[in-house]
Amino acid sequence: MRIKLLASTFVLATLIAGNALAHHSFTAEFDQNKPVKLEGKVIEMNWANPHAWIYLEVMKDGKPVKWSLETGAANALIRRGWKKTDLPAGTILKVDAWQARNGSNTGNVSSVIFADGRRLFAGSSNESAPKQ
Amino acid sequence: MFSRPLSARAALLAGVLVALCELVPAQPRPNAVNTLPRTADGKPNLQGIWQVRSRAAYDLQDHAARQGMPAGRGVVEGGEIPYQPWAAVKKLENFATRQTADPLNKCFMPGVPRIMYMEFPFHIFQTPEHVAITFEWSQVHRLIYTNGKPALHEGFESWMGSSRGHWEGDTLVVSVTDHNDKTWLDMAGDFHSDALKVTERYTLLDADTIQYEATLEDSKVFTKPWKISVALIRQKNVDRILEYQCQAEAEEAAGLFERDPRTWYPAPGSPMQAKAAMPAPGTLPPVKTGTNLRRTADGKPDLSGYYQSQGGGANYGLERRGREFVMTPTTQGVVIDPADRLLPYQPWARAERVERELPHHGYDDPTAHCFVAGIPRSTYVPSPMQILQPPGYVVILHERMSWRQIPLDGRPHIPDNVRLWQGDSVGHWEGDTLVVDTTNMNGKTWLNEVGDVMSHAAHIVEQFIPVGPEKIIYRATVTDPIAYTRPWTIEIPMDRQQEELLEVACHEDNGDLQHLKDVRDEFRAKQPQAK
Repeated sequence: MRIKLLASTFVLATLIAGNALAHHSFTAEFDQNKPVKLEGKVIEMNWANPHAWIYLEVMKDGKPVKWSLETGAANALIRRGWKKTDLPAGTILKVDAWQARNGSNTGNVSSVIFADGRRLFAGSSNESAPKQ
Repeated sequence: MFSRPLSARAALLAGVLVALCELVPAQPRPNAVNTLPRTADGKPNLQGIWQVRSRAAYDLQDHAARQGMPAGRGVVEGGEIPYQPWAAVKKLENFATRQTADPLNKCFMPGVPRIMYMEFPFHIFQTPEHVAITFEWSQVHRLIYTNGKPALHEGFESWMGSSRGHWEGDTLVVSVTDHNDKTWLDMAGDFHSDALKVTERYTLLDADTIQYEATLEDSKVFTKPWKISVALIRQKNVDRILEYQCQAEAEEAAGLFERDPRTWYPAPGSPMQAKAAMPAPGTLPPVKTGTNLRRTADGKPDLSGYYQSQGGGANYGLERRGREFVMTPTTQGVVIDPADRLLPYQPWARAERVERELPHHGYDDPTAHCFVAGIPRSTYVPSPMQILQPPGYVVILHERMSWRQIPLDGRPHIPDNVRLWQGDSVGHWEGDTLVVDTTNMNGKTWLNEVGDVMSHAAHIVEQFIPVGPEKIIYRATVTDPIAYTRPWTIEIPMDRQQEELLEVACHEDNGDLQHLKDVRDEFRAKQPQAK
C-alpha cells in the first residue's frame, strides 16, 4: 500500500466541480495542489454532519498511518447510493482526496474505489457533482 | 441548562403563572365541537403560533425546585417513567451531570417530543399533504407527511426523527421513527435509545388549545409504553415567531465568532446616509411564466415541492470568473445585472471581498460554523429546500435546518431594530410570480464561501417565477447602499424533484471548523496586526 502525491489535477476532479464543500471554504482548509491517492484499510466510518468521515489505515514505510477523510454529509451519501453497511472496518479501499493545508493526514474525498472496482462519489447534493 | 442566562430565565419564570399539569381527556370541549377552526378539506385547523403551558421541559415527572429549575408537576400518565433497572441508574447519572451532559447545552437539536414542550413558540402550517412545524429554537423544523406515502429513506437516523401522520377523526396522529440515541427528553436527564418510537396525538380542545399527547415505546430502555400529555396554547399576541440561534449566540458570546463592524447591525459609523443615493435597479428582460402550471385551489401557481437550485457555483462566487480551480470551474456567474456580470462593489467592499477569500478567513464564513446561510444564499447553497403553500403563506424549509415563513397578507415588516439571520420576509403575487421582500438582515451572513459582501442595510427583492410545472426561475435583486454603488440582480433556476428532505445537523461534528481556526490562528500569530 502506498501514498502518492500527484503533480497534476485528477481528471475526475473536473467532474466534481463544487463538490463536498457544502458548508465551508474548500481552499481555506484543503490544498488543491495536494491531491493524494491513498490505499488502505477502513478503521471506521463516522456518519456525521456536516460531513461524514472515513478513517483509513494506510501503510507508509512499513508503518500504519491513520488518515481522516472527509466526505459529504450523511444525507448526500445516502442520496448517492451509499449505505451504512458499505464500509465495515477492514474494507480495503482506494481513495482520491485532497490533503489539508496544514499537512496533517486529513483529506477531502472525491471518490472511493472498492477492491471490486466499484466507485462511489463522495460529494454533496450539489447539482454539478456526478451521480454515481 | 438552557443557553439563556439564568437571571433572564428566572425573570421570565417569575412572570409566568404556575402552570400545573392539566391531564384533560383528549376530546374537544363539548361546547367547542362546532366552533373548531377547520381547513377547506374539513380537518381541524391547527395552523398558527403555539407554545406549551407546562414545566415539562424541566422534568417530565413531579419535581422539587433546584437551581434554574422551578418545582413542577409531572406530565407522565401514572406519574413514573417505567425505566428498566439499568436505565433507571443511567437516568440518575444523567441527572447528576445534567449541567454539562444535556445535549441541549451543545445546542444539539432537542428531538421529538422534547421540542414540543420547550418554552419556545412554534408555528404550525397545514396543507392537505403536510403539517409543517417551524420552531423559534434554532430555526429547527419538522415536516410531517400526511399524504399516506411511506418515507423515501427509511432508516435514516436523525435528531428530529422521521414523521408520518394521518387523521383519526379530529385528531392528528403522528408516528415518529428513526430517532438517534443522543437526545434527552427533558433537562432532568430522562432519555431513550435509538429504538424509540413516538406516537403523537394532536387534538384541538377549542380554537386556542391543542391537547398534545405522546406515547413513547422503547424496548431497550423502558419496561412498557408510557404517555405524556401537555396543553399547547395559541399565542395570540404575536404575528410571527422570530429566532433563537442557539449555536450562533453561544459562539458569539464566547468570542468564537467575531463582529464585523462594517456589515453587522448596529454598525456605528457605517455610511447609512448613502441609502438616499442608490439608483434604481437596472431593467431586465422579463421571464415569461409558464402556461401549464400546477395551481392551488385558489388559482395561484402551486410552487410546492422539493427543489434543488441549479446554483451555477453561486456558493463559490456570484460573479463571472475564469479562475482555474477544480472546485470552482470557469463560469459566467449568476449576476445578470449589471451587464458585465460583476458586482457593483464600493471600493472598501471589493477590497474586503478579496481579503475574505484568503485561507485564513475561511473560519469567518458563518456557514463554516454551521450558522444560517441568510437571504439570498439559502436558495443557492448546495442543499435542497421544500416549498409549502399553506393558506396565507409560502413556507420554505431548508434542509440545512432553517426556515423562512413568508406571509402573503400585506402585513408590514417588523421594527427596524429587530434583526434576524434570515431577515424578515413578506410576499405577494404579481400575476403568477411570487415576489418576496426581505429586510431586517443582521449583516452577519456572507453571500458565499469566497465572501461576497452584504451588510445589514440590504433590501432583497426575490422573484419566484414558475416557468413550468417543475421549474422556477429565481431572481434576487439586492439593494445594499453600504457595500454597493447600485442594486444588482442574480438569476438561478430551481428544479422540482421527487425527493424528501433529510436532516442535516450541521454542527454535530464540525471538525472542519477547528482546522479553519488553526489556519486563522497561525496567520494571526505571524501577523499580530492582521484583522
